[in-house]
Amino acid sequence: MKMKKWRADAQALLFLLPFLIVYGLFTIWPMFKGVEMTFYKWTLIRKMDFLGWDNYSKVLQDREVWEALGHSLIFVVLTTPTMLVLSISLALIANRKSVLQKFYRSIFFIPSVLSVAVASYLGLFVFQPYTGLVNSVLHLIHLLPGGTEIFWLTETRLAWIAITLITLWWTVGFNFILHLSAIQEIPDEIYEAARLDGAGDRQMFWRITLPYLAPITKTITMLQIIASFKVFMQIYIVTGGGPLDSTRPIIQLIYQTGFKSNDLGYAATMSYLLFVILLVLSALQYWMNNRKGAELS
Amino acid sequence: MKWVYRLVSLFIAVLFAGPLVWMLFVSVKEEGMKIITVMDWFTPPYSLAVYQEILSGTKLTNWIGNSLLVAVFVTVLTVAAAALAGFALSKIPFRYRTLMFFVVLAGLLIPGEATIIPLYQVAKDMNLLNSYQGLIIPALASPVAVIVLKSFFDGIPNDLLESVQIDGGGSWRIFMRIMLPLCRPALASMAILTFIGSWNNFLWPFLSITDDNLFTLPMGIPTLISQYSEDYVKPMVVNAIASIPIIVLFVIFERQIVKGISMSGIKG
Repeated sequence: MKMKKWRADAQALLFLLPFLIVYGLFTIWPMFKGVEMTFYKWTLIRKMDFLGWDNYSKVLQDREVWEALGHSLIFVVLTTPTMLVLSISLALIANRKSVLQKFYRSIFFIPSVLSVAVASYLGLFVFQPYTGLVNSVLHLIHLLPGGTEIFWLTETRLAWIAITLITLWWTVGFNFILHLSAIQEIPDEIYEAARLDGAGDRQMFWRITLPYLAPITKTITMLQIIASFKVFMQIYIVTGGGPLDSTRPIIQLIYQTGFKSNDLGYAATMSYLLFVILLVLSALQYWMNNRKGAELS
Repeated sequence: MKWVYRLVSLFIAVLFAGPLVWMLFVSVKEEGMKIITVMDWFTPPYSLAVYQEILSGTKLTNWIGNSLLVAVFVTVLTVAAAALAGFALSKIPFRYRTLMFFVVLAGLLIPGEATIIPLYQVAKDMNLLNSYQGLIIPALASPVAVIVLKSFFDGIPNDLLESVQIDGGGSWRIFMRIMLPLCRPALASMAILTFIGSWNNFLWPFLSITDDNLFTLPMGIPTLISQYSEDYVKPMVVNAIASIPIIVLFVIFERQIVKGISMSGIKG
């Protein structure tokens, strides 16, 4: 659009203003405010003593913090590869011509529209011993002998499995749609040519489909890692971080430090540790995407 | 081979539907039913008594109202602000345009969860805790929406805009008369995704609201369910009441939702 320089500046400002006000006040400003908070003993009521770098040296030596970061990392490691495999599998299922195609597309996505509270409570009851859905189905088909129960939520390893399954069920929908739309963009001629050359289904999947999905899969992988690092609510509801804090992720520790132990300053310091980790991951993603762009050109 | 594939597909779909179907069946059971095998959950008698009890005896309908109010305001204002900003970034040749674009892009790198503690303090300083304004205003800046809408506006040819300019139309008129109507599908997709995001938002209301008259639905669910004892019926009714509206919304707007996700390439 052509217009005079000063007019363009003035109009752009007016158009940008509503967004910039909110963005500045509630995204940018808190980032700086948070830095101030890390230098103080800062409670829910008010700012107190100046601490200097104390919170920072404390956070680096705090075993609870590193354990919680470790738990977030476990969650990342458990959910990321499984998410990719599940997402691609679901996309393949929903891409095949079938009378159930529409049903598949809807049912794989529907859990994603639920609130985290609903998904988590549903999971909590599904994995309940005695009358929970999983155990009673296992009883019904005699995979689990009568009189025995699996205590999904009170044993650390099982709790991680339950949390992972709930998370996959609840969040795979978004990735599934991204994979499905990428599959649909693969030109049919390529498959036809491969078929003429005598390629089987399996070969076509490994040689055509998967390579075509590589770019979106890379993006999903990074977004998934970043999102998984920020896990909180489903674990908080399903296990409460237990048994004995053995599944407590970093965000839960931040929440508890700030709002239960009444130490917002220290909680903010922990947030920045997480922030730095996420920033490094985001930079890595940006770098990977750009490298891919460089290869293409 | 083919039927094995079909059977596996169907089995996976059943696993996905299972918990939701179970939720609906449990929610229409009578309370205190004896459950011996899993089939007991699905067989009659059915009753809607607990629905009535929960809807009339708790604040759940209040909370649904709050969620709806907040989600409508957040959706309309977020999309409006993002459309205005996206238009400026796309079509107005102002100084520092590239810089401004990067400032917005940087917002994608700032994880809300990592700045939630200072956000709490900022909101407190502004007297926004425990208020509808506090639920709505901090949620209005969506860099993702700005960037998606900007890229949509980029696709509208400048010739079209210049012909309106020659007829004496200003930026505002171009925005209202050309950009918005042409980008209606993108706006609709963004609006629906924003609505769902707001309807399901948990962390911020969880931290900023303590007055249970101002609870939104996702916060009300744990509050209610933690009061109920072992029985499953009440929790499942609460879950069902919370999910049915959003699932219906999904069924109506499935196409726009799918399009919105493919456009942004960003998870909710």
